[in-house]
Amino acid sequence: MSLLGGLLRAGASYCQSAGTLLHTVRTISTGTCCQIRMHAIPQPKKVDRWTEKRSMYGVYDNIGILGDFKAHPKDLIVAPCWLKAFKGNELQRAIRKKKMVGDRMMTQDRHDLEKRIRFLYRRFNRTGKHR
Amino acid sequence: MLRFSFIFRGRGVAKRFASSFSNESALPPNLLLPTNLVDPDRLKRPPPPADSSLPPLRKCDAAVPAHLTPVQAWVESLERQDSEPLGVAQLHPDVFAVPPRLDILHSVETWQRNYKRISHAHTKVRSEVSGGGRKPWKQKGSGRARHGSIRSPIWRGGGVSHGPRGPTSYYYMLPMKVRVQGLKVALSSKMAQDDLHIVDSLNIPTPDSQYLLDLIRHRHWGESVLIVDVGEDFSENILQATANLKTVNVIPAIGLNVHSMLKHEAIVLTLETVKFLEDKLLWHDERYTPLYPFKLPYSDFP
Repeated sequence: MSLLGGLLRAGASYCQSAGTLLHTVRTISTGTCCQIRMHAIPQPKKVDRWTEKRSMYGVYDNIGILGDFKAHPKDLIVAPCWLKAFKGNELQRAIRKKKMVGDRMMTQDRHDLEKRIRFLYRRFNRTGKHR
Repeated sequence: MLRFSFIFRGRGVAKRFASSFSNESALPPNLLLPTNLVDPDRLKRPPPPADSSLPPLRKCDAAVPAHLTPVQAWVESLERQDSEPLGVAQLHPDVFAVPPRLDILHSVETWQRNYKRISHAHTKVRSEVSGGGRKPWKQKGSGRARHGSIRSPIWRGGGVSHGPRGPTSYYYMLPMKVRVQGLKVALSSKMAQDDLHIVDSLNIPTPDSQYLLDLIRHRHWGESVLIVDVGEDFSENILQATANLKTVNVIPAIGLNVHSMLKHEAIVLTLETVKFLEDKLLWHDERYTPLYPFKLPYSDFP
């Protein structure tokens, strides 16, 4: 029984990985199979490794150590304001978003955010092994 | 990039290994090498010996530990394409001759790639997809499978149950001393592989990009060059010359980082940049742990 289950799981994961590998864009597969047909080996995409963004990537990352600590690399991050220099799981991010941006949000988005926080709180703190 | 230098070194290494073989050709017969490969060992000027008699143009400001000797490097000039080096400069071994810690380089490089990363991938959950509040058909009697809403994850067009949720950040900070050590290891590796060049100043006779390209090709510095100078004012000539070049870039010394050093094959530093870097990077070896962040004023630290 467990062998069968293992084989089925391996088969399913192989199909899914084959399907997602042949897409070059990162897609979120919801599990339905997609028919891929190709006539020839596709050309590798030509990537310019020396564009302005790529050649100047990472400049000023050490602005703190080399610049007398007047700035911090976290000031360089381009992100929504509730995510600047912050890392957290989904519940922590949602609570922070509600705290910082909640009164500026549209009513439907805020309602969805509150429902999500309520659901995640109950899920993390009342179900499963880690409470 | 280090990968190209591996090809160069590989050829020399293959020759050295081949000498130990007996009655075999120098290189394997099916080895395919590009025809325009030049052997840099013949062309590069060997770095000045440790006990050279030339008076150094620049000595280390900080005290060098007794068991280490300063690194010697040629000081060149960008004025003329085929000018000889102007002299010898001494570099501090605790910045330019640090043991090559590849794990620190890897961790600093991954930190640089990830700490700024915000992934905006987002999918709607079944409660966020429009519609799906009503039960589609009654529970019993219709003959079809029982369902509560048309937007549940098993339906086409329904929500995603475990997809990416909203903008996610991957921010974290490495300890300051690890980032400093990463800079030192990168500089030492470039120095050890003869990819670091010291220049007295960035004065170029013409604002022509072709002059820079010819100079770099003549001196066999590599395909890509990173030029670093202290201060915000650069001479007009160098700015104009590098404006149109993709692989030759000028950055201020504050912008120096491990990723740029690994991406460009050769690094060019001025003498003031060397002094600035030694100053900033050696301070961390002998500082006290901060009681409050360094950006707040300290009495003895500017």
